[in-house]
Amino acid sequence: MSFQSNPLCSGTGLFESSYAAQSTPHAVFKPLLALFLGVMMSLLLNGNSLAAEHVIQLTAEETRDDGFGNKLLAYKMLSHTIGGTNVTHRYSTEATIPGPTIELTEGDTVKISILNAIPGNNVPVPGISKQVSIHVHGVHYDILSDGTLKVINKLFDEGAGAGLEETYVVYEYKWNVAPGTAGTWAYHDHNFETHNGAEHKGLFGAIIVNPIGAPQYAKEYVLYLGDDAFWGMEINGANKKQSKHGPNPTLSAREDTRVRFHLIALGTDIHTFKLDGYHWFDPGTHNLINQAAIGPLEKHVFSVKAEHSSQYEDKNLSNRLLGMRGKFNVQ
Amino acid sequence: MFSKREDQYRDDKDNTMNTSTPSRFNRPMLQGAKWMVVVVAFLASSVAWAAVHNIALTAKALPNGQLAYALGGNEAVIPGPTLFVKKGDTLSITLTNSTEVKVGFEIPGLSAQNAGRINPGKTKKFTVKANKEGAYAYHGDMGGKELLGLFGAVIVDKPAGPVDSYIEANGNIVPVSQAQLDKQFVLFMVGSTFWGTEISSDGTQKPLWANPNPGAVENDIVRFHILSVGPGHTFHLHAHRWLKTGTREIIDTKLLKEEFDTHSFTIKAGSGVGAGDWQYHCHLIAHMEAGMHGSFKVDPVGGDGASLVGASPYGRILLGPKDEPGLVTFEVSDEPASWFRSARGDAIVKLSDPAANGSPLQGVDIKTKSLEVMSPGSSVNFIMSDTNGAHTISSLLWPTGAHHMPFDQSSAYRGGGIVKLDTPGLYVFTCKVHPYMFAAVIVDDPATPGLDLGNPQQDFKIDLVTGIKGLPTSSDLAIRLLQTFFITTAPPNWQDYSSGVWNVRFPTIPVQISGAPRDPNLTEGGIAAPLSILNVTNQTLSFGSTPVTPGVGEVWANTQFEKTAHKYKPGTTTVVDTTNWTVKRKVALPQINNNNPHNMWTSRDQSVIYQTQWFDNKLSMIERETGELIKNIQVGYSPSHVMTLPTNDDITIAINGENGIYIIPAGTTKVSKMLPTQGQGHISANPHGHWISSDGSKIVTPNINTHDIGIYGAQGGIQARTPTSVNAPGAHPIAIGMMPDSSKIFAANLLHHSLSVLNESGELLNTINLIDEYDPMTGPVDKNGNGEFELGILPIQSPVSPDGKAVVIATMGGSIVIVDTATEKVVKTLPCDPGCHGANFGAKQGGGYYAYVTTKFSNRLTVVDIDPNNDGDISDATIAGHVSLVDTPHTAKDDRMSELPGFGGQGVLAVPNVYNGWVQKLPAVWKAGLTSDQQNPIGH
Repeated sequence: MSFQSNPLCSGTGLFESSYAAQSTPHAVFKPLLALFLGVMMSLLLNGNSLAAEHVIQLTAEETRDDGFGNKLLAYKMLSHTIGGTNVTHRYSTEATIPGPTIELTEGDTVKISILNAIPGNNVPVPGISKQVSIHVHGVHYDILSDGTLKVINKLFDEGAGAGLEETYVVYEYKWNVAPGTAGTWAYHDHNFETHNGAEHKGLFGAIIVNPIGAPQYAKEYVLYLGDDAFWGMEINGANKKQSKHGPNPTLSAREDTRVRFHLIALGTDIHTFKLDGYHWFDPGTHNLINQAAIGPLEKHVFSVKAEHSSQYEDKNLSNRLLGMRGKFNVQ
Repeated sequence: MFSKREDQYRDDKDNTMNTSTPSRFNRPMLQGAKWMVVVVAFLASSVAWAAVHNIALTAKALPNGQLAYALGGNEAVIPGPTLFVKKGDTLSITLTNSTEVKVGFEIPGLSAQNAGRINPGKTKKFTVKANKEGAYAYHGDMGGKELLGLFGAVIVDKPAGPVDSYIEANGNIVPVSQAQLDKQFVLFMVGSTFWGTEISSDGTQKPLWANPNPGAVENDIVRFHILSVGPGHTFHLHAHRWLKTGTREIIDTKLLKEEFDTHSFTIKAGSGVGAGDWQYHCHLIAHMEAGMHGSFKVDPVGGDGASLVGASPYGRILLGPKDEPGLVTFEVSDEPASWFRSARGDAIVKLSDPAANGSPLQGVDIKTKSLEVMSPGSSVNFIMSDTNGAHTISSLLWPTGAHHMPFDQSSAYRGGGIVKLDTPGLYVFTCKVHPYMFAAVIVDDPATPGLDLGNPQQDFKIDLVTGIKGLPTSSDLAIRLLQTFFITTAPPNWQDYSSGVWNVRFPTIPVQISGAPRDPNLTEGGIAAPLSILNVTNQTLSFGSTPVTPGVGEVWANTQFEKTAHKYKPGTTTVVDTTNWTVKRKVALPQINNNNPHNMWTSRDQSVIYQTQWFDNKLSMIERETGELIKNIQVGYSPSHVMTLPTNDDITIAINGENGIYIIPAGTTKVSKMLPTQGQGHISANPHGHWISSDGSKIVTPNINTHDIGIYGAQGGIQARTPTSVNAPGAHPIAIGMMPDSSKIFAANLLHHSLSVLNESGELLNTINLIDEYDPMTGPVDKNGNGEFELGILPIQSPVSPDGKAVVIATMGGSIVIVDTATEKVVKTLPCDPGCHGANFGAKQGGGYYAYVTTKFSNRLTVVDIDPNNDGDISDATIAGHVSLVDTPHTAKDDRMSELPGFGGQGVLAVPNVYNGWVQKLPAVWKAGLTSDQQNPIGH
C-alpha cells in the first residue's frame, strides 16, 4: 500500500497543486519509504486482525471573542469513521479547547485531513502563513505528514490555507499507529502565522493510543496545563462521549471507579501538578508520587481509584495565585 | 575535528589505567584513591580497574567574547570537550584560567573534592569521582556567567554491557553497546540556543556550534545527550520516540529542569518514519519564538548523513578569524546602559581607545558595549545570564526588506534568543518590558564603503516596528534614534551635573546612510560619513537653582542606576527633604542586593514605602522614617508599579513580565492572589504603570504586550480592554493617569508618541498627538507659530494633578509636556534632561502642587510648578527649580555610593500622598501640613 498520497487537492483553479514539485526534490526517498512502510504495515496487519482504519476530518475555527475583541482558535471534529463506522457523535459539535480527543489502538492506521475555517485563510500574505496544520506526537508518519511549513520540512507547506509558499484547501496526513506508540500524545498546529504555529492560541488536542487489550476506565480526563489555566475535557468510558471542554473544568467520577488522567503541558510555563489527597505511579515506574513536574508538550498519564472529592492544581507561583485549579468531584 | 575521546585527553605521566581496555570494566567499581586501585590491581588482576582520567582544560575567551573550554592545546569549543568515562572512574581536572574573570569547575550531581574559583592566569586541580551513571554537565561555577560558554558534558556509562536501548519500528526495545553507536550528539540547551558537538563512532569530536543541523543516515543508531544549564526547557524531536531513562515508558519530549539537568537517549534514525528534515526544538513557546530550533537531517540510505555546522564564535564577525557563518552574543544584564552587553563589549571599548596603540580598532572611540558588527549570514545570540527579571528580545527597527523581521516573542520569559541576519543594515533590538534596553547589530555588506545603516538594495532605508516603512537613514528621526541609542547605552555620554560639562562621543566609524548628505560636512561621495560628526563637545551643563517655595514632606526618587559598594545589582532610592531641597537619605539595601528599584507607593499612614525591583521578582517594604528594610517579598517577574487601593490599603503590583496584578492585603507581607489582566488562554498583557480610581473600584493598566488599556474591578474581573494603537501597530501604552473623579483616563503611548484619552468605561475618546510639531524627515517644525517646538517624543509617566487640572508627561526625548485635562490640548512644553522618565505630584507649601520629574541619564530632579500664581490657569506652568540627587556628607545612607551618582531617576513619590482618595485618609499629623484645598482637592 502506498502510505502517503497527500496533499489532497480539491483541484480548484485557485489553489496550486504541488504534484509537479513533489516529484523533484525528494523523488528518491519517497518510493523507498512507501515500500518500507508498506512491508512493515502488511506485517503488522497480518499479525493483528483488530487493526482499524480511522478516517477523520478536522477543521480549525476562531472562537467567540472574549467580549473585548480577542479571539482564540480551536479545532472541531467534522467526521470520524472507524473501519467505516461513524463515531462522530462522540464529539462536541462545536470547536473546543482542547480539540477532540482521538482514541486509537496500537496497530490502527489514520487518515486525518484538516480544513481551515478561519476567516481570510486562503488569501496569501507575504511573510505570514494563514495555514493551520496538525502536527502529531508519538505515532509514525513520514515527512509529508509532519504538519510543518516548507521552511522546516524543505518540501511543502503541510497545512490547509495559504502558507508561506503554497496554498491547500485540504491537507491530509497519514498516521501509522505502530506497535511501540502506545501512550497519550499531543497534536497541535505548527503553521499558523509563523513556523511555530498557534498551539498557544487554542489549536491543540490529544490522541490516546491504547495497547491492545488495555484496561477500560470509567472516565478519562484530558487536562492541558496552559500558562494560566487547565484546558480540560472528560470522556465517558462506556459510551465514549466527550464533554466538559474549557478552562479549569469540574471533573466528575463515581466512587470506587477507576479513572485516568492524561496531562499534557503547553505554552511557556513549567508546572508542578498536584491532585490533593491522591497518589499514583510515576509513569513507567513503581514509585508512588503525589505531584509531578511537567514541561510544555510532556505527557504524564496515570490512573487512580476515585475515592474522595478533591481538587487538581498547578503549584507554579503565579499560576496558583491566578487560581489555576479545578474540582474533582467523586460521588 | 579536534580531539578523540578518552585516550586523547589523557596526560600519560599521571595515568595508572587505560580505559581503552573496556573488557576489564565488568565488575562493581572500586571507590577510593589511586593507590587503592594499584594495590587491588596487584592483588587480583581479574578485578575491574577504575581509571583516573587526567584532563587538562583551559578556560579561554573566544573571538566573539564568549568563554569556552579547550582540551590541552586544542581550540576552545562550546560546548566544552565531552568527557566519556566509566562508572567508578576518577576525573582529575587541571584547569588553567586564561580568561580575565574568575573561573571554577563543578559537576552538579557528582562529588567533587575541590571547589572554588581561580583567578585569571592561575591553574588548579579539581578531582571528581564518577560514582553514578548518566550524563552530567560540568561548568565554570560563575553565578550565571558560565552560560556564556563554560559548560560541557561528562558521560558516565556502565563499565560494560549495553549503554542504552532504542525502540525499533515494530516496537521492540533493543539494547545497544557503545560500539554499536554510529554517532552521538551532545546538545546543550542554554538560554534559547542549542550548542552542539558531534562524536563519531571512532570518538572524534567535532564542534557543531549554535543551532546546528545534526545529520545521520536512515537506520543509524544515534545517541543524543541533551543537557541544560540556566532556565528550564523541554526537548522535542519530531517523529522519533525513545525511552524515559531507566523505564520502558516511551516519550518524545523531555523536561530539563531549571539550573542543571540532563537527558540521554538513543534512537534509530528515521525508524518507522523515514528520511527527512526532522525539526528538533525546545517546546516552550517563547523559546520557539526566540529561535530555539534546528533540524535533525536524516538522509536516505546511501546519503552521507553529514551534519551542518551552525553559527560559530570564530566566524564572520568584526575581527573574526574564520571564513564561516559567525555569531555575535549579547548578555542580557541588569547593569545600567549595558542591558544588552556584547560578550566582548569591554574588549571592544578598550581596543577602540584613541591611545590603544597597535589595536585594529585604535581611535574608533566606541563608548557603548551594546553594538556589534558582523557579515550577512551570521547570527546574533542573546543570553539572559546576568538578569533576575523576565524579558523579551524584540525588533525595534531593521533594514527595509529584511527577512523574518520583526523578531519577537508573544510574552516575556527567561532564556535567550538567536536569529540569523541575511540582509545588510542596522538592526536594533529592545525588550518590550524594559523598552530602553537596546542592542544594535550592523550587518555589513563588505562591498559597500562604510558600515551599512540600511539595506543597500533599498537606498539604505529602515523599517520601524510601529509600521513606518522605508525610512531614510538620513532622516531626522533615524538620526535621533541613533543618538538615543548611543546616549542610552554609554554612561560617559550621560549628563553628570557634578561635572558641569556634557560630552557625547560617537564612534568615528564611517557609515552609509540614505540619499544626499544631510550635514554640510558630508561632501565626499555624499553618504559615507563618520558618526562622530554628531559629537557634542564640552557643552556647559548649568544646574540651575532649587525651587524658591518649599514643598511639603519628602520626595522619594528611584535612582535606579546608582551603584553602591556592597552589592552588585544597581539602584538606590534617594530621599529629598522638600523643606530645604537636600538629599536626606540614600536607601541602597545592600543586604538584599536590591536590584533596579523602579517604583514606589506608601501605606495609608505613610510609615511604609513599597518598592518594586523591576529587573527581579521582588517587592521591598521599607520603613520610611529610618530607611530600613522590613521585608523583601517574592512576587512575579519584573514587577513594575505598585499602588494601594484607597478603600482598604491593599497593595496592588503590576507584574510587567507576566499576566496579572499581584495583591498583598494591607498589614500583611504575603501575596494573596493574582488578578489576571486577560482572559484565560489569551496573550499575556504584561501590564506596566497602572493607576487606581480614587474610589478604589477600578484598576487601570497599560498593557505593553497587547497595546491596550485594561480596566479591571479591584476585586477582579475584566471590565474593558481598549486598544490604543490607532492606524498603526505597536503603540506600547506604558503609564496611566486618572482624573481625581475618575471621569477620564490618560495613557501615554511610548512608541506612538501620543496620549490616549478614555472615559471610565474604557471608551477611547481622543488620541493627542505629542509629535504634531515634528517631521520625521526634517525635524521639528513650529506649526502653530508660537516660537516653540512642542515635542513629546517617547512619553512615559503621565499623572494627572490631584486637582484634576493638568496631565504632566515626562518624555524620554527630553521634554515635559503639560496637557490641559479640560481641553485635551498641549498647553506647555518644558525642557527636561535626556531620558526623562518619572513624574508624580506632591503638595507645594501654602497651596498648589509640584510635579516631580525624574531623568534616567542625568542626576537632577526637575520640579515643575503647574500653576505658579495659583489662578487655576495652567498655561503659565514653569520649572520651579532643580534638585541634585547626588549624596552629600550630610546624607544618611546604608551603603557607600560607588558609581553613577544620582543617575537612573525613574519612579518618584511624594510623601504625604496627596492624590484624591488617598489624601483624605492621611493621619492628622500629615494633614496638618496641607491647606484645606489640598486636603480635599476636588471639594465635596
